[in-house]
Amino acid sequence: MSDMNTQAVARYRNNFLKEVEERVEDGHWVRMCMQCGVCAGSCPLGPHWEHSPQKIFMMIRAGKREEVLTSDAMWMCTSCYNCIVRCPRKLPITHIMHGLAHYSHRLGLAPKGQPTREIAKLFWDSLVKTGRVNELKFSLAMYFKDGFGQGIKNAMAMQGVGLGLVKAGRLNPMEILGGHACKDKGGIQKMIAKAQEIENRKKGLTA
Amino acid sequence: MTASIPTNQTILVVGGGISGMTAALEAAECGKEVILVEKTPTLGGRTAQLYRYFPKMCHPTCGLEINEKRLRGNPRIRVMTMTEVTAVAGRRGDYKVNLKVSPRYVTAACTACGDCGKAVSAEVPDAFNYGLAKVKAAYLPHPMAYPQRYVIDPSIVGTPDGEAAKAACKAGAVDLGMQEETAEISVGAIVWATGWRPFDANKIQPYGYDRIANVITSVEFERLADPHGPTGGKLLRPSDGKEARNVAFIQCAGSRDENYLRHCSRICCMASLKQTQYVREAYGEGENGAKSTVYYIDIRAIDRFEDFYAKVWQDPTVSFVKSKVARIAENKENGNPVLHGVNTEGYHRYATEHDLVVLAVGMEPEVTGVKLPEDVIQDSSNFIEGSRDGGMFGAGAASSPLDVNRAVQSATAASLRAIQVIRKTASTEAA
Amino acid sequence: MADNKFAAYICSGCGIGDVLDVKAMEKIATKEGKMQVVRSHPFLCNEEGVQLIRDDIEKEGVTHVCIAACSRRAKAEAFYFPTVALSRANLREGVIWVVAEGSDHDEVRQEMAEDYVCMGCAEVKKMKLPAGNPNRAENKRILVVGGGMSGMTAALEIAETGYEAVLVEKTAALGGMAAKLLKRVPFNGAYAEAQPTGAAELAARVSAHPKIKVHLSSTVAETAGAPGRFQVKIAQESGNVAEEAVGAIVQATGFTPYDLAKLPELGGGQANVVDQAGLEALAMAANGGAIKRADGKEVKSVVFVQCAGQRGSGGNGSGQHLEYCSGHCCGTSIKQAMYFKDANPEVDTVVMYQDLRVPGMGEDFYRSAQNKGVIFTKAKVDGVTGGDTCQVRMKDLILDEEATVDADLVVLATGQVPNAGVNLDQWTEVVTAAEGGSEEAKVQKIELQKGSVLNLSYRQGPDMPQFKYGFADSHFICFPYETRRTAIYAAGPVRRPMDMFQAIEDATGAALKAIQAVENAAAGRAAHPRAWDLSFPQARLEGCTQCKRCTVECPFGAIDEDERRFPLFNESRCRRCGTCMGACPVRVISFENYSVDTVGSQVKAVNVPDEFEEKPRILILACENDAYPALDMAGIQRITYSAFVRAIPVRCLGSVNTIWITDALNSGYDGVMMMGCKKGDDYQCHFVKGSELAHYRMSKIGDTLKQLGLETERVVTHEVAITDNARVAQMINDYVAQINEIGLSPMKGFG
Repeated sequence: MSDMNTQAVARYRNNFLKEVEERVEDGHWVRMCMQCGVCAGSCPLGPHWEHSPQKIFMMIRAGKREEVLTSDAMWMCTSCYNCIVRCPRKLPITHIMHGLAHYSHRLGLAPKGQPTREIAKLFWDSLVKTGRVNELKFSLAMYFKDGFGQGIKNAMAMQGVGLGLVKAGRLNPMEILGGHACKDKGGIQKMIAKAQEIENRKKGLTA
Repeated sequence: MTASIPTNQTILVVGGGISGMTAALEAAECGKEVILVEKTPTLGGRTAQLYRYFPKMCHPTCGLEINEKRLRGNPRIRVMTMTEVTAVAGRRGDYKVNLKVSPRYVTAACTACGDCGKAVSAEVPDAFNYGLAKVKAAYLPHPMAYPQRYVIDPSIVGTPDGEAAKAACKAGAVDLGMQEETAEISVGAIVWATGWRPFDANKIQPYGYDRIANVITSVEFERLADPHGPTGGKLLRPSDGKEARNVAFIQCAGSRDENYLRHCSRICCMASLKQTQYVREAYGEGENGAKSTVYYIDIRAIDRFEDFYAKVWQDPTVSFVKSKVARIAENKENGNPVLHGVNTEGYHRYATEHDLVVLAVGMEPEVTGVKLPEDVIQDSSNFIEGSRDGGMFGAGAASSPLDVNRAVQSATAASLRAIQVIRKTASTEAA
Repeated sequence: MADNKFAAYICSGCGIGDVLDVKAMEKIATKEGKMQVVRSHPFLCNEEGVQLIRDDIEKEGVTHVCIAACSRRAKAEAFYFPTVALSRANLREGVIWVVAEGSDHDEVRQEMAEDYVCMGCAEVKKMKLPAGNPNRAENKRILVVGGGMSGMTAALEIAETGYEAVLVEKTAALGGMAAKLLKRVPFNGAYAEAQPTGAAELAARVSAHPKIKVHLSSTVAETAGAPGRFQVKIAQESGNVAEEAVGAIVQATGFTPYDLAKLPELGGGQANVVDQAGLEALAMAANGGAIKRADGKEVKSVVFVQCAGQRGSGGNGSGQHLEYCSGHCCGTSIKQAMYFKDANPEVDTVVMYQDLRVPGMGEDFYRSAQNKGVIFTKAKVDGVTGGDTCQVRMKDLILDEEATVDADLVVLATGQVPNAGVNLDQWTEVVTAAEGGSEEAKVQKIELQKGSVLNLSYRQGPDMPQFKYGFADSHFICFPYETRRTAIYAAGPVRRPMDMFQAIEDATGAALKAIQAVENAAAGRAAHPRAWDLSFPQARLEGCTQCKRCTVECPFGAIDEDERRFPLFNESRCRRCGTCMGACPVRVISFENYSVDTVGSQVKAVNVPDEFEEKPRILILACENDAYPALDMAGIQRITYSAFVRAIPVRCLGSVNTIWITDALNSGYDGVMMMGCKKGDDYQCHFVKGSELAHYRMSKIGDTLKQLGLETERVVTHEVAITDNARVAQMINDYVAQINEIGLSPMKGFG
């Protein structure tokens, strides 16, 4: 089904809606939106994204696959749940947006360099490696993702916070040397691999 | 106005708003005996509290006058105000109904001269004006109240004020010893014309009805526009009494919302369109003139109401924004409500200040939360569909969110169905 | 007259006795009012007071009662004496509550009260207790025209209430439009699925009902007579004519879908573009299976275009086609989209709407369709082309972009056009031209008549008057059944665009009104809005000049003309407004309890002071439905106005006969104020044209005034709403000031 990336989708056909319903977490709710726009107005990140949730849902129904999956909108979600609370149709909008983000990432269509996506990736990678997130390595990886010079600048800017965390015993500078992992690192990794396999199978994904 | 004993040939109509009055009058004008019970001290219901009707912009009290005249001239209807149904037993054609009559403390000898009102000093919230004003604790509910008889608020019974009212009444109509009474009556059929109530806007947290003074409801706005209302017909906002020239109307305040009322209340779009014309009437066009903004999901101006929508649409003082408003904040400096949301037609974010916000609150059946006889069938929003035994009927806004015209049609239909029940009872007994 | 005994009762309660000289009023009632019994009582409306009157009626033989107390709108239950003629002199709301307090005003207040007592006495002396229409007609069968959902419902409800129904259907079968639907929009339950129409079952019940007689393949060729005695000729397809006698009529002639051919811009007339009725036909053929187009191809994608040729009046409309919204079409398209989804969820179904209009529980039906995968989009459709692949050019208003959508089939949600028969405005024009000798108009008249539904042999035309856009609706929000042809009620989409649920409710209501109408006709009493009024118009034809004003102006078409061109009153068609009485230049029309004399004698009963007293007298003729209550409520709210006015309630401003005005001016009144309801397109007059006619008649009174040497300002006409309590007081005070400025009438002392 990877040919979907390039397939021309006819307008206002079910194809893309169905794809979303089948492959996106809570995607079957998209059909229920009545375009009132309360989610768009309720989102605190509203001024920063390109498309509002309600507009994303209309785009899905209009078959605008490429534009939806490359949109940065769903990457902006901070899970504040304002939209879910206010939606008159009780759509789990937060979850749908996360689902769409995940799906576009899996398809490799998510916008490149999108910071949320980068953080999520780093977080995930750190997690999979040792079964826990290494705060120091994770922070440093984030600081240095845009190059060495920028990394130093970022680290300097965050110096105060870092020192505070060290003093409070929340951050151990020695973790840089490898850091500790969870007890059964291999077991966790196997578990994650299995979960991924199940999900892929369910959603018909290969990657 | 009759004292004939109710039998299984009598129709009971519950609710004295326009639907109940219609159901009762239509049956009585077919020659049937009717008992009309009303919970409040006067007939007229919610329509009497409206300033004008859409789309003709005529006055509801005009029709009320004719219906009151019909009532005065018809010996077959017995009106019982301050009366509630507490229980219904029996079945189609043979119901036993328990009634509870609350004390009015004023007898039929009252001439509505107003002396008791002058004599008392205590004031109580004015229900007719949705509590926006106060009335004396001895009061006529409104100038067209039927029966035209004063009411004494229970709060002054046993106080010097109550005694003052009694002393002032030359007709001897004040009876402070009146007690709650109960009665059991027999009837053949029951029409539930219990109407609607405005959805409680306090529940819509993001709109701040409970904390922003200048956010009011559509029913309250009717009272502001009415010359008999608390502001003498001036559109003055609550916080500072300033003229509200720039008014926002928010549609679906409670309606079409699974968090509140899942149904569409039908009337609110037209009611808001009508209310934009109150603003226009008050301030006209121009720089400092009227400015109304309607925030909507779909404008439901059905059938020939479309004409009215078209007219308002072309009105330069009115603009439309396709948006369910997300939240309302208050500008603390001037008390203006600030509306936040997105116009979904093409996506435009707004944060707009208005002098006043009117929430077009939905219609909730008045019987929501009330235990009705088990046989009554209600839909998922508590509107009354009828009864399993086929002897009880919903009429008007008790049966569905309806405008006045449709409510009267519904009540007329319910009236005929009730007549059919008692006719069948009669023919069975004769056989 | 020998048996008549006149009595006046003056109440001194509610403060009347505190500020008025009751003894003086008693004297006036005896001397000037010529009452044989005059009594006063401190609380006339209490049991003792009422008993006093009742005793006089029962034991003393009093036949005519004038009660000088509160307004006729108050204490009507206490003062309910149905066996005597009754007048009310309004001393409370009309005098003591509106005249400013204080001894400065004692004199004018007393004069006002005494005048009202005189007027009440004068009125009751001219009144007779109405006996009811002697030409009662007792036929209680009811004709239903139209055998669709509305007509079948009306007939069945009439029959189930114990009355006989006669149903006339022009096609060969019952069922109408409903029978051509696969399913209907739900009315109850969960509102999630379309429901069976029930049309076939209803048709079977109607056909089998012993109290219903059905004429199929038949039309109404002529309807003559009046409520309680209609004679209907029914033309059958065979050429035979059946006759039915009925007492009332329900017109349930439904609608015709707007002609698709008029919508070429939306693909009307092109292949694979259908209207909703066309889609029902395809769905019926598929009967739950895959829906196929006319060419047999299975539909895999369908687009519904809402408001096709509708809502043209809006700022967002085209200004063409139907201006209104037909109300049902959103629900219908939802239902039809479900036909596709239920048969095959893979079918692409898109509904393009501007405002999705599904009120009430319709919202759940909308949700259900979305749940089935129907795509809804707010869009403006610019054009449709039909063909093997139809193309819909649209602008998506949410996405703010234009697109062209392909579909196997396009369904246009077109509107309902009422089958209401002849437009009477057009009819009147053509008839006038034909009577003027135009040959063309004579042909036109015959053509028009062919389109008639009821073929009424009424002077004012063959069908019910139509409302805007040709619907036979009531103009009144509170009174949806207040049609302008007594005992003829429209039901269903002929009255207003509507869905099936509303049509059933409407037909049930219309059935009740028809039943009421036959009962009223049988009892000789009036229908709404003067329900149960037993008075009726009587004419002294020997004085009639055959001017035809009454026949033309009657708002209800009650008056025909006989062979000699005299007015022919059909009392049971009459609604007792008195417009004919107001119209009659020779004053030969009157009612027993409301006549040129009952009002005229009141006008004359007022004691007009001579010019040196500098007290103007102004006559107010106020519509009893709105203006008079407004005056009353000014009193209830203690809003004061000048004591120089004398108000007389009239049934309708249309009933005002010019003689009252000229009499008043001749007797030295300084001005006349007429207060009626709003006129024009959004008229509020309950008798349709009363206020308008009064304005028109008064516009012609200028010449009379000039002849009398009077200023035109001496007669003014106002529109007064029932809420105008404060305004009406202001209006009176302003007018008194104006009259003082013009100066008192020079006619004083000549009357």
